[in-house]
Amino acid sequence: MMTLFTGSEGRPGGRGAAAVAVLAGLALACAVAPLMADGAVVRRHDADPLVAALLDGRGSLSFALFAGLLGGALGVGWGVLATALGRRAERRLMSTATRLTALPLVLLVPLAAGLLGGGVGILALTVALAVAPAIAGLTHAELNALMRREFLTAARAAGLSEGAILRRHLIPNARRPLLAAGALALPRALAAESFAGLLGLGLPAPLGSWGASAGLAARLGDPVALAAPALLLAVSLWALCAFADSLRPGHPRP
Amino acid sequence: MTVPMPAPTPTPPIQTDALTLMAGDHALVDRATLRVEAGEVVAVTGGAGSGKSLLLRALAGLPLPGIDVAGNARVDGRRLLIAQGGVLAPRRPLGAQAAEILGHHLGLDAGGSLRRLSDALDRLGVPAAARRLDLPPDRLPDGLRWTALFALALAVGPAVLMADAPGAGLDPTVRLRLLHRLAEWARGEAVALILAGRPEDGVAGPATRALALHRGRLLPAVPHAAVAFHRGPAAVPPGGPLLTGRGVTVSFPLGRTAKGEERRLTVVHPVDLDLAEGETVALLGETGSGKAMLARALAHLPAPTEGRVAWKGRALESGDATGMRRTRRDLQVLFPDPAAALDPAQTVGAQLAETLESLRPDIPADRRARRVADALETAGLPAQTAQRWPVSLSAAEAARAGLARALLPEPRALVCDEPAASLSAEERSAFLDDLLAVRDRHRLSLLLATEQAEEGLRNADRALVLLMGRVVESAPAETLRHGARHPLTRAMLAAARGGSPRLEGEAPSALALRDGCPLRTRCPNERPFCAQAVPTLEEIAPGHRVACHYWDTP
Repeated sequence: MMTLFTGSEGRPGGRGAAAVAVLAGLALACAVAPLMADGAVVRRHDADPLVAALLDGRGSLSFALFAGLLGGALGVGWGVLATALGRRAERRLMSTATRLTALPLVLLVPLAAGLLGGGVGILALTVALAVAPAIAGLTHAELNALMRREFLTAARAAGLSEGAILRRHLIPNARRPLLAAGALALPRALAAESFAGLLGLGLPAPLGSWGASAGLAARLGDPVALAAPALLLAVSLWALCAFADSLRPGHPRP
Repeated sequence: MTVPMPAPTPTPPIQTDALTLMAGDHALVDRATLRVEAGEVVAVTGGAGSGKSLLLRALAGLPLPGIDVAGNARVDGRRLLIAQGGVLAPRRPLGAQAAEILGHHLGLDAGGSLRRLSDALDRLGVPAAARRLDLPPDRLPDGLRWTALFALALAVGPAVLMADAPGAGLDPTVRLRLLHRLAEWARGEAVALILAGRPEDGVAGPATRALALHRGRLLPAVPHAAVAFHRGPAAVPPGGPLLTGRGVTVSFPLGRTAKGEERRLTVVHPVDLDLAEGETVALLGETGSGKAMLARALAHLPAPTEGRVAWKGRALESGDATGMRRTRRDLQVLFPDPAAALDPAQTVGAQLAETLESLRPDIPADRRARRVADALETAGLPAQTAQRWPVSLSAAEAARAGLARALLPEPRALVCDEPAASLSAEERSAFLDDLLAVRDRHRLSLLLATEQAEEGLRNADRALVLLMGRVVESAPAETLRHGARHPLTRAMLAAARGGSPRLEGEAPSALALRDGCPLRTRCPNERPFCAQAVPTLEEIAPGHRVACHYWDTP
């Protein structure tokens, strides 16, 4: 028998728990990395490659969290608004989102950084905008599926007003799929920023990032320096995706 | 059934002697002794997990991983197994698959294979068979996909054919027609045919004899209808009208045409319906006939596109929330998928209490738990079910939880949209029995939408038969059971009784509807005039109305 929420037991929950553990470990390691770099002044280029990559992780992960939350909120808001505003607004908003999703929006990030001088704020905003349409599409699909569920009809048959149905049935059942859809913005934001970083147009100078370090190492032809940031980037992308996936409600099986 | 038994031969194509299939030390099939002559059709029925598929696999000589086989099974000649669900590669053109299969079995080239398949499709009554062969199976309608699969089996020309749950998911009318054709072919060509399925699938209908797998033993089957116990219509004569629908129409927007006109898909054409106090009315129809849409429109879930519905003479209006709630208290609904009709994020008890709070504000909060427990017990569930989450309920328990919720506000009428569709045969008859017991005890009115004609008619006072959103026959249930006039009603009854329905092919899509009578492409009485006008309901006897141009043609 499936439990309602795929919690800590069973396979999907196990994967989610592993992802959370990996993310927590990474965040902790990045946070204490300055202590490993022989105290005093932190100079990334002299440090051990792994310590340097962990130092970069502070920039990459915190930026991914910031821009991802922004993009997720933007995308979920977009999808919810489309569902709530009625048929015509829905069609407009969602066709815009679908068209934007088809474009390589990630290219906007280095473009904006190059043209506008790349402050953290500008970078975060472009990343959020690049990520939002896909999240909006997901949100809208989840909400549409939810609106067709039979238990809402049953609630209407029980004489509940539309407000009560929204409060007691729609929102509790929408919370988890929307959280899952929004959480997918985190790995996307990390990937977008790393891509810009590879081209040397990512986070500005004092802040290191995995993409920037990997790009620099590739240009210098230094495989040892390339391995650590690339590996950490891959692991955190996997962990963020697995975490978002584990948030999705399990589908009840007969 | 008057089918001549084939003469016993010394070596029948299928003979097993105490065939036992063991998983560990648990006997899944216990000492099955089976003898099928050439040209004999045998049905093997049994509930879910009774070992039908396993038995067929063993007879087909397929590997059974993890199963120990004891006893003897001998199958002579070329044998074919049509596996559950009818397995064809979904995306490859039918003709290509046929060429491959027939080439493998018979060594024919592509042209020869196609010719052989077309001959087989002709035998199964598919007109212009050759045209469909370049389509992949997943683009074919379900009925045609199954027919093509059977035709492929016919074309191979086996000595032994076994079909596991043949035509599952098809309408009874379509399935029974197909099974009868298959049985006819087997008898004509002296093929040993085994049809396996659940008792409610009607596989026993075309068979010479029926066997049932029960607890691993293979024994002669008790006829399905005799097992199910039914109460019949309510004993008390119906009172005054409760629910009246006038010109109830349901349609959906399909967007606009190039000229800017709105296109609509009408799934229920204007229907008039009355439900009297204490009366049970059955809505019969095949899949897509609009019976569920009509039932829901009558309960304003959602409101009909046109027409009006009145409860005790007072028109229902969506805008009037208080009035609607008062009506909903009296008019409750049972849903076709009861598990999906429960909110997964709330316990059963919480949802039931919510219904009670909304519809019966007169009951104080501290007495709600008692009421919920009582309703659960009335519906045949322990009171502790209130603490359970919907996902932990079985299909039967969910159906009963749905019944409990519907009974909570003490309604006067229930609208039941295939309330037992998700249940197996035994659970189904037990559930319906309880539903009817509740009906009799509380003198409830029932509106029962179902595709099981016999079952619907047995329990109802009156029935309406729907075809593509139109009522084509309405009469007292007893009249319909013995003197149905419309070809569709007759076909549905024939299918329910295991006979061969006299309808060809499947119901057309509502989107590709042609002029005239919607049944004319399938009807045995079809004449040129049928293409010209949609027949209207006319009264042919008191209380018996039929919409067919040629209802008096036998």
